[in-house]
Amino acid sequence: MVGKTSQTMWMAILATLAAAGLGAWIYQVANGLGVTAMNNIVSWGLYITAFMFLVGLSAGGLIVSSSASVFNIKPFKAVAKPAVLLSTVCIILAALFIFVDLGRPDRFLNLVLSPRFNSPLIWDVVVIAAYLVISVLYLYYLSRPDTKETTKYTFSAIALPVAVLVHSVTAWIFGLQIARPVWHSALLAPLFVVSALDSGLALLLLVLMGLVRLGYPKLEKNLLATLAGLLAVLVMVDVFFVFSEVLTALYPSEERLMEYINLLLTGSLAPFFWGEIILGVVLPFALLLSRSRRENRTVVGMASLGVVVGVFFKRVWLLFSAYLLPLINDPPGVTLGKYQVPATEAWGSVSIWATAGSYSPTWVEYLIFIGIFAFGALLYSLGARYLLTASPDENASQAVSSRATTAGPVEARTPMVS
Amino acid sequence: MAERKLGMTVDLKRCIGCQTCAVACRMQNNVPMGMLWNRVLTDGGEHLDRARGTYPYLTKSWLPLACQHCENAPCVKVCPVGATYKREEDGLVLIDYDKCIGCRYCMAACPYNVRVFNWKEPVRQPGHDYGDAKVPKRRKGIVEKCSFCVERVHQGAEPMCVLCCPAKARKFGDLNDPDSEVSTLIRRRRTKQLLEDKGTRPQVYYLL
Repeated sequence: MVGKTSQTMWMAILATLAAAGLGAWIYQVANGLGVTAMNNIVSWGLYITAFMFLVGLSAGGLIVSSSASVFNIKPFKAVAKPAVLLSTVCIILAALFIFVDLGRPDRFLNLVLSPRFNSPLIWDVVVIAAYLVISVLYLYYLSRPDTKETTKYTFSAIALPVAVLVHSVTAWIFGLQIARPVWHSALLAPLFVVSALDSGLALLLLVLMGLVRLGYPKLEKNLLATLAGLLAVLVMVDVFFVFSEVLTALYPSEERLMEYINLLLTGSLAPFFWGEIILGVVLPFALLLSRSRRENRTVVGMASLGVVVGVFFKRVWLLFSAYLLPLINDPPGVTLGKYQVPATEAWGSVSIWATAGSYSPTWVEYLIFIGIFAFGALLYSLGARYLLTASPDENASQAVSSRATTAGPVEARTPMVS
Repeated sequence: MAERKLGMTVDLKRCIGCQTCAVACRMQNNVPMGMLWNRVLTDGGEHLDRARGTYPYLTKSWLPLACQHCENAPCVKVCPVGATYKREEDGLVLIDYDKCIGCRYCMAACPYNVRVFNWKEPVRQPGHDYGDAKVPKRRKGIVEKCSFCVERVHQGAEPMCVLCCPAKARKFGDLNDPDSEVSTLIRRRRTKQLLEDKGTRPQVYYLL
């Protein structure tokens, strides 16, 4: 267990990063979204990528943990509380990323005051709000030692479909758009859900390993191997969907769609596409192939890290492949909404045009990105300190689960073992 | 069908690529630096005003492009706060600049890339408002686009791009009225709508 001082140090660093992010956001509000690299062609960027990613992480963790109760998978119950805490934190971060992406954050309340229910964004606002409430309540009931199993069951039974829905709806924000051929696919929601499952589970495994440093008991080998096995299966389902999607575009080689596919296979997004395949699929699958390695903490940790980074790469190529090529790209193209006035030349030479998109995040975007994630890590650390380690109930059921049999509500109330 | 459905025809045989409509639009609507509501693209060439094909088989044509005021408008569907809306009485797709939260979902939804965002406080060169006083002011953080010059249309006038086109390539009128000039042209000429396969049903018709 890590000492109090180094814990405090860790939190101080996170708080500083979060404060830097807040400062960058204030700068962005003062100067407009022009301080980001976004423009009229690539009109969504790093923030929305992170939003997609975080909704996935959140949904994945909760699906795994609530299926523990719903399907009565006993060993999984040990990880329910850290998983729900993780989901709660991730969904808060996802909402923050939507917020920092708004051009008029002061009008944020319009989403509540004059919602239009034909917009998938409003569906998402509704399900994310519901999801947040359910996660917090679920966490509350998991943290109370006197909660009945039926209550836990009820909450997990509600949380499971809502978690699936929250990521499906996020997929539909993109997948229902006829303007974006790479998004417009019925497979997008299933693809998002399975990416949520593997990245969420991978992050959960990483967090559980990190929690050991806070004095949370180690994952016992059986559970580690089971979760790692599940991760390997999910990774395969994920790549199956990606393969199916790419093949469907490749086979007819329809001219328009091929331009987008080439962006992924050989173009500017190839590092992210192949990066995902290598880090998020090949590496973890190779690492987790054998049972003995699935019991190895370091190996599972590496595989999990690969999956998390790989799925982030997938979010990158998914978002930007849709944006880089305008459907009508005749010259001189689209007005970017941004321009730089050369110091020595006249206004006449200012170029505001482009026939294809380009995007590389600015320092403001990176700072806000890092700041929000640091805020999340801080939130989780605080939550872990006050909610996870302080609970005898959870640790007890963890110890019980290693016996892997009849851990019931009575035994779950036995005092702290570790 | 008592209501009007306002639409435009653009005669590509008449268009000479002079960019007058682009500038007229900018002047009327006070469009700031860095963006246009209405652009004139060169159809098929590699660069602006470049011919298409190989000598001696060269052709040159343009594609004036602004909001298509789609009947089945994807931008209207996705707007989470109803800032972008389809006006019942005349079928215009308009933006309530006081409602827009700047989420830019409409920009993701529009297949024509005709929506522009105020990435910073608008800058005008020369440094004053040059547009029609009736056109609402826009600030940073919101989306804007062609409104078919709703302020002029409201007074019974034509959009500025129609009025200013020296080649008389643009016509404006009620698509629901079979006797209107636009309806007659659409009936008599061969037409296309942009990205017809997307099913957006634009209210802008290009005469071929």
